[in-house]
Amino acid sequence: MNERQKLMQKIQACCFVLTETGLYLDTHPSCRKALRYFEKYRRMRDEAVRQYEQRYGALTYTGADTANGWNWVTEPFPWEA
Amino acid sequence: MWIYEKKLEYPINIKKPDPKLAQLIISQLGGPDGELGASMRYLNQRYSMPYRQVTGVLTDIGTEELAHLEMVATILSQLTRNLTPEEIEKSGFATYFVDHTTGVYPVSAAGVPFDMKYIGVKGDAIADLSEDMAAEQKARVTYDNLIRLIDDPDVCDPIRFLREREVVHYQRFGDALRVVQEQLDARNFYGWNPEFDKVQKK
Repeated sequence: MNERQKLMQKIQACCFVLTETGLYLDTHPSCRKALRYFEKYRRMRDEAVRQYEQRYGALTYTGADTANGWNWVTEPFPWEA
Repeated sequence: MWIYEKKLEYPINIKKPDPKLAQLIISQLGGPDGELGASMRYLNQRYSMPYRQVTGVLTDIGTEELAHLEMVATILSQLTRNLTPEEIEKSGFATYFVDHTTGVYPVSAAGVPFDMKYIGVKGDAIADLSEDMAAEQKARVTYDNLIRLIDDPDVCDPIRFLREREVVHYQRFGDALRVVQEQLDARNFYGWNPEFDKVQKK
């Protein structure tokens, strides 16, 4: 697995934690343990996304590079792997 | 993957309920040229599209159509708030009400439930983009027809926004078709299908 794939896997893992924990929090909105857990992985996710977009291209519109052309449509789509 | 944003693409604030109008506007949710069909059409056409600029257009318009689906549903929900049984009966909304109460269910103005047959995925870049351009025009006409029937500016304003987006999407699909054609043989655009055949790069 190359560096790009490793960082993507980290983002996928963090985002899945946020999906799963967020879903749990929908019906347990005052669970402090889950809230702390969510916060920990949100920070981890934000940092991983920042690194990924800087090195490998946009994950969303708002992360697209504008200094060197619109890289939203130059990098591969996920099913091209 | 997708992430939900808790905001509408364009503000909607309808004060006066109008269930009769809701029954017409619902066609842009579940009708033959509605937003549900639009989003499914573009998002499903992406996977065999070999040009990333075009894949980008399909992804981005398909995603925006999901936001339009939410806008139409918001209009419907606001038009059917606080109804009395008398209003439901008088307005002709009773035929919908009996099956769905005031829930949002994708049907056409004539009450036909949404059908995936409304959309096309041919797996051929020229055919699919031509279908997409036609689809945007048909949706634009549906909005034009609705605007003829709407008096309330609170309803008309977001409908006009949605109509305008159909025009813009038509333009972008036109650009996408040009991008595809530039990659093909101008003497015979149909010589090969870039979504299936191995294309000789120009």
